[in-house]
Amino acid sequence: MRDTTSSCARSEALETLSGAQLTAWQTGRLREVANHAYREVPFYRELWDRAGVEPGLLRSIEDFARFPTISKHDLVQAGDCWTNPHQGSVAFSTRGTSGAPLLVWLSAEEEEAYIQPTMRGFRWAGFRSGMTALLMSPVWHRLAACEAHAIARLGGRCAFFWGSMGTEYTDSFLHTLSSARPEFITTTAPFLLSLIRRTTGAPTRPHELFKGVRSVVVVGLPLTPRMREFLRDRLQVEDVFERGGTQEGAATDECRWHTAPHVHEDVCYLEVIDDAGIHVAPGSRGRLIVTKLSTAGSIFVRYDTGDIAAFAPGECACGCGFRRLKIYGRPESSVLVGDRLVTAYDVRMCIEEDPALVGRNVLLIREANARAGVLTVAVEGDAHDPAKLQARLRERLGVATSHLVWLGDLRVNWGFRQVLDGREIRLPRS
Amino acid sequence: MPTENPYLLFDVPGGRLAFGDGDLDIWAEHLAWCYRMMGIPDGATIAVQDFGSSPISFLGSSLLMPGLQRGVAERIEGRFICLDASAERVTLTPALLAQLAVDALVIREDVLELLSAELHKKGFAALAQRPMKTIVVFGDEPPALNPGRLQPSRHLMHVESALLLAPQCVKCECFHLREGFYQVDGRIIRNLRLATPPYELPRGELFSPSHCAAGIRDWCIGWSPRERGI
Repeated sequence: MRDTTSSCARSEALETLSGAQLTAWQTGRLREVANHAYREVPFYRELWDRAGVEPGLLRSIEDFARFPTISKHDLVQAGDCWTNPHQGSVAFSTRGTSGAPLLVWLSAEEEEAYIQPTMRGFRWAGFRSGMTALLMSPVWHRLAACEAHAIARLGGRCAFFWGSMGTEYTDSFLHTLSSARPEFITTTAPFLLSLIRRTTGAPTRPHELFKGVRSVVVVGLPLTPRMREFLRDRLQVEDVFERGGTQEGAATDECRWHTAPHVHEDVCYLEVIDDAGIHVAPGSRGRLIVTKLSTAGSIFVRYDTGDIAAFAPGECACGCGFRRLKIYGRPESSVLVGDRLVTAYDVRMCIEEDPALVGRNVLLIREANARAGVLTVAVEGDAHDPAKLQARLRERLGVATSHLVWLGDLRVNWGFRQVLDGREIRLPRS
Repeated sequence: MPTENPYLLFDVPGGRLAFGDGDLDIWAEHLAWCYRMMGIPDGATIAVQDFGSSPISFLGSSLLMPGLQRGVAERIEGRFICLDASAERVTLTPALLAQLAVDALVIREDVLELLSAELHKKGFAALAQRPMKTIVVFGDEPPALNPGRLQPSRHLMHVESALLLAPQCVKCECFHLREGFYQVDGRIIRNLRLATPPYELPRGELFSPSHCAAGIRDWCIGWSPRERGI
């Protein structure tokens, strides 16, 4: 039986290892994965032979950093050469927001490994036996497929609404919310924000619909502190947690201290590197590189996600030894202004300093004048203290000029991209 | 009888499906039977473009649902590709089909038009000529023929609120109501394996058992060629 309440002794023990002990354990896993990939997956064998690296000589984390990074484009091009004989029988698609989508395979063995951290994250977020969880569609994402298994093993009940994660399904979500009366919800932040906007001004306010919900776990958008407060306040739930993960194997969850999501270091090894490929210090931003610590499923070794991320410095008060990582955005949720890469998260941080602007949809507009240092930001609703906001954007983000466009009544769906090309949207004159 | 101690609740159009211990495997076995009735061989790679709360999706593999010992993929020893039916995801399907040859694409009728348009728009029309079976899932009646859309090889009748899954038989072209799973009384169809509201068939012709050798005890639903859009 796969879905019984099983012992989590191994993963619990890993949480309390010292940094050096955890690194030693991960190095062993990386060696195992690299040896398997070299033996079984032609793509890696050819890549590493060309690069002159040998999995057999992998003795330390520093050795591992010599392995070349790979991109989604490399894997799409590799086709069958990337096939792992143990990749499993179920595939999910990446969202294709950064080019062609990729099919990522999941096996029972790999899923088993990922159910444990999912249970850990849900416990951190307050899930308890006997609760009902309203969950995301299990076919949406490979991590979503683990969610129902985790809830069942934690002794809970799962409810699913009809439809998908687009704004057209918010009514369906609300229907299940009111009939299943869950105490725990997993969803995407854009979906939740769309739902709040949709119910604002409606006879039934959002918090009435969320009555009885204790925790909401969101994916898909990095939460700013004020956005979390906004969600807590509007929904009147006890807490809102940020969950992160990629189809390629990264998995993170917040503990109740909300300092940054912890990396589930028993299933993935994450690195943050600069443009020269060197690891950056905690607190500094760089590109997120993912290695899955499993020889099952699709194999990802030093996969460059393109995400902009940083490890949080220091230790977490919760006592968990797993590092904390904040993912700030992706290339498609960022704009290069002059020589600075500005993420939608950074812009929201600035905008939300004004309490009147928290919860409004914010879009970065990619325009030709960005090269000359002009940051163009579209903000939902009517203008509010624009001079101050423009000055704040310039000062905090280090851009030469900031240009604000107030969208007024124009409603743009909350989404994962957060950046629009200037040609995609007809902006009101500001 | 309502399901005892259901641990999985799925809201579907017009109702709710509640599953308790052992229920999912009964329906995964039935869905695998449906695929075989539609000519899908064991070992096939099946891509399903449907919502996660549809049994056609969540019964696809034991990896998707707790308590499901063997989903369709495990029962036919095949592979299962999860393709969500949201518009955003449908636009990705041509590129995915170009990466992997699938034996069957099972798709909701309401997104078939969008997928057909994407296949044409993105220059993937040749994909539609591959030896891939396209199974179109509909509710109350088969969709009208539309030459501009991806042509179905088979249809699968799926009434969500009644958990009615009736495959179009390769032998008789009718839709089989499997013996032991559904009971027919006049035009009322009752689910014998899960507590669901009865379904009244609005159109089509009902044939009593002995109609087709592929399921000698099954009732069958037939639509005239015109009703099938032919």
